[in-house]
Amino acid sequence: MDGREEEIRRGAEEIIASFVKATEKIPALTETYYSLEAYNVVRPDGEPSPEEERATFRSRFISLMPKADEMGNLKVEVARWSKER
Amino acid sequence: MNIKIGFEIHQQIATRRKMYCNCPTNYQEVPPNTNVCPICTGMPGAKPLPPNEKAVAAAVEIALMLGCEIVTGQTIYIQRKHYDYPDLPSGYQRTSLPIARGGELQGVRIREIHLEEDPGQYDPTAGTVDYNRSGIPLVEIVTEPDMKSPEEARKFLRTLVRVLEYTGKVRPEAGGAMRADVNISLEGGGRVEVKNINSVKGAYRALKFEIIRQKERLKKGLTVERETRAFIESQMVTVPMRTKETEEDYRYIPDPDIFPLILEESWVKEIREKMAEPPHLRQRRLTERYKISAAEAEVIVSEREMADLYEAVASEIDPKLAASWFKTKLKKVLNYMKLRAADVKFEPAQLVALLRMVEEKRVTPEQGELILRELARNPADPEKIMQKLGLTPIKPTELAAAIDRVITENPKAVEDYLAGKKEAINFLTGKVLALTHRRADPREIAKLLIAKIKKSDN
Amino acid sequence: MVQGTLEKLAKIRRGELSAIENVSSSLELIKKLDRKINSFIEINPNALMEAEAVDRKIKKGESVGKLAGLTIGIKSNINVAGLRTTCASRTLQDYISPYDAEVVKRIRAEDGIIIGMTNMDEFACGSSGESSAFGPTDNPAAPGHIPGGSSSGSAAAIAAGLCDICLGSDTGGSIRNPASHCGIVGLKPTYGLVPRQGLIDLGMSLDQIGPLSADVSGTVVMLETIAGRSDNECIMLNVDKLNCSEKIQDCDLKGLRVGVSKKFSELTDPRIMDVIDREIEKLHDLGAEIVAVDLPNLELGLSAYYLIVSVEFFSGTRKFDGRKYGKKIEDVCGEEVLRRILRGRYISQKEYRGKFYQRALQVRTLIKRELMAAFEKVDVIAGPTVPKLPHRIGTKLTPMEMYAYDYLTVPANLAGICAGVIKAGEINGIPVGLQLQGRVLGEAEVLRVMKALEATE
Repeated sequence: MDGREEEIRRGAEEIIASFVKATEKIPALTETYYSLEAYNVVRPDGEPSPEEERATFRSRFISLMPKADEMGNLKVEVARWSKER
Repeated sequence: MNIKIGFEIHQQIATRRKMYCNCPTNYQEVPPNTNVCPICTGMPGAKPLPPNEKAVAAAVEIALMLGCEIVTGQTIYIQRKHYDYPDLPSGYQRTSLPIARGGELQGVRIREIHLEEDPGQYDPTAGTVDYNRSGIPLVEIVTEPDMKSPEEARKFLRTLVRVLEYTGKVRPEAGGAMRADVNISLEGGGRVEVKNINSVKGAYRALKFEIIRQKERLKKGLTVERETRAFIESQMVTVPMRTKETEEDYRYIPDPDIFPLILEESWVKEIREKMAEPPHLRQRRLTERYKISAAEAEVIVSEREMADLYEAVASEIDPKLAASWFKTKLKKVLNYMKLRAADVKFEPAQLVALLRMVEEKRVTPEQGELILRELARNPADPEKIMQKLGLTPIKPTELAAAIDRVITENPKAVEDYLAGKKEAINFLTGKVLALTHRRADPREIAKLLIAKIKKSDN
Repeated sequence: MVQGTLEKLAKIRRGELSAIENVSSSLELIKKLDRKINSFIEINPNALMEAEAVDRKIKKGESVGKLAGLTIGIKSNINVAGLRTTCASRTLQDYISPYDAEVVKRIRAEDGIIIGMTNMDEFACGSSGESSAFGPTDNPAAPGHIPGGSSSGSAAAIAAGLCDICLGSDTGGSIRNPASHCGIVGLKPTYGLVPRQGLIDLGMSLDQIGPLSADVSGTVVMLETIAGRSDNECIMLNVDKLNCSEKIQDCDLKGLRVGVSKKFSELTDPRIMDVIDREIEKLHDLGAEIVAVDLPNLELGLSAYYLIVSVEFFSGTRKFDGRKYGKKIEDVCGEEVLRRILRGRYISQKEYRGKFYQRALQVRTLIKRELMAAFEKVDVIAGPTVPKLPHRIGTKLTPMEMYAYDYLTVPANLAGICAGVIKAGEINGIPVGLQLQGRVLGEAEVLRVMKALEATE
């Protein structure tokens, strides 16, 4: 790790320290994970999205890929464990 | 040696849309990266849609079939499990807190059940990723390490697959819809987790390999370290993926983009009332109710649709006759035609009619099988099929004439039989069968042949 | 202000000003002025074509949408199909968005013309507009000073009159802070009122898209366009449509209870407090009842906020692995982005979860309760937006000094309530904005107060 990253890390931890100090006297409360409270918001299974919509997205997605093969697969690294034998 | 084997099984749930987006789920049938959208490819800014309700219900039903206690009345967060892998479009997988706990199947305890989403498909050797599969709903079943051998593990998995398929809510195992992570530890060694297992067969082979590998190491006085390995199916070996010095930290947080679930008792009750009878319980009931053998019942319950068909038929005709037909003839015909019971198009009444013809000896069992084969291919009235195939029963005089002719034309076989070669009668029977266009019962033919030969020999 | 948003809309509808003319003049102004301001980092090449389509509709006498012909700037963290949605980061510098955010769809449906993508702090991580990979944005209202952030370009573009309305996003003050420094109107809607589908994450449980404009009407018309439930999203309020235009016609504030807290003056530069106090006096003159409210732990919100946002940001940036598009974020991002990722990674570790992350979420509960208790007594809470004046561009601040800009804005995000900003006055030519916090779905009350103040100008 270079000096820059070390300095950034220290800066990152600074506010944690101030937080711990500032909240010492706060009693334990329930955590608020969401700004809204609701449960069981689900959607029904049903008709999938139209094919044309996905076709448009597909071509845009492939053009964003750093590398793609001719089938439309995204090209990424080969898994290390599949080589180290 | 004391061996402990446990599983984390991931089974795809059959839905039309993915878990958190509206892409279709037929990922095997389309070119790479076709069933995708910003959500299931992790585009910047994409948020999940609300969870697919059918997937939630299916996971609950599966948990109930495995005898689990459903977690009701508690907040079940959909969590983000963070790890970096090419198949994970967002760098985390969504996985619920347990929706159920504490089940049991075949003596193996089920620890807990989660609702998850499938990652994309990564080919580790080609270095390609296809996101068609990304976001397909999964149920994750975590067992306790209660299995003691690869055979036991395989048996458990087979039973599990049957139970899962019984719900009618999952994709068939044959298509790679079930994947497992297996953990195995030998006495004196660390716990090894093996990933990348895509079938029951694969799990068995991976376990076999691991036991040999670990035993070898322990024998040599080497340690077996706690680690994660990958199974390479083509070579039937496992290789190290990463060393697991401490538990990997997935930094779980509740997904801020999805509201948590609270399963309600009344909803679970509704599912319980509508759900299919689990196969292991159904097997027991069938043997007791219809007085059939355990072996027959096992074949019958192997597929839910087969058992449904059996019960429809057994209410109309001798259940024992039906059971023996299911175990031998029907199973054979379906296997031969590569059909599953779910694919069967004929009506239970048509099968009943056929069995009645057999019962009344209007057709031989062999003829019956021919009719059954045709019935499976092109459902129709069995009487009509019989006529179409020319399977009208043979007249005794016609059969006697055929037997005479075969005996006359095959003196060598007759001699052989008389000389003590009993199998010669099979040859002759075959000839008669051919001559009579298989309209006669081979057992009957053999009987008549023997009588005739003995009579003329005297 | 030369003309109000509503007058302009009416002129376009009547054919007195064509959409093409409006878009052309915006493009010309950008060309002329923005080299120095640096508020836009991507221009929509189809803007004139889209304007032409609107003009055609008007000529044919067809009905047009409520934003017909207005020029709209979009913050660079909101996806617009075909445009570079970069978050002002090298991570996404080549990312041409393949899809429209839900709010963009709604703007297009109302015939608004997207003019371009605005500059911002990288990934919305900043309060000054200086952390953009495309260079800092100047403050047109106080040249040489920061415009505030993170919606720096959106606020500056409005302040310079380069376009009619902008969208920003507000996670801890990112709309209100630059609106205050640039002397314009801005609103952070109630959490869950405006769809986030297509908004690139900073803190998912805090982020909200909202408008910035030169007048209150601009903010109202945009809010009415983008607000309301979407089936394409889970975390939304069950609100169909928002209609507050009618409720804000009244210029008198009789019967309205306005809360003020002594906490504000403890945290704020006294010069700013003077301006704010004078503005609150005006509210009193307009008939509002001024009521003191107690917000004893308000300042604890800041560090809790930075802990929560870091964890959520860490999680939300895991997708920037450089495999599918763009670059791996840690390889190319700026300091503040990296700082938040590292902090998020640190405090989300299993062993620190309870100590830091969950503790921060408890403080969030505390802040929320205090604000809810205050809203039992009052309809809006009035106070300063930012505790200090904007620094000169390039001044070196420590992270803590930078975070201190956000003391007064983060509580609204932690509690999920709405809050608007309107210019209250100036100090040595530098604008100061009054912040009006409202209840959950209290937009109409907040906007009513803002409108009444605007009318006194």
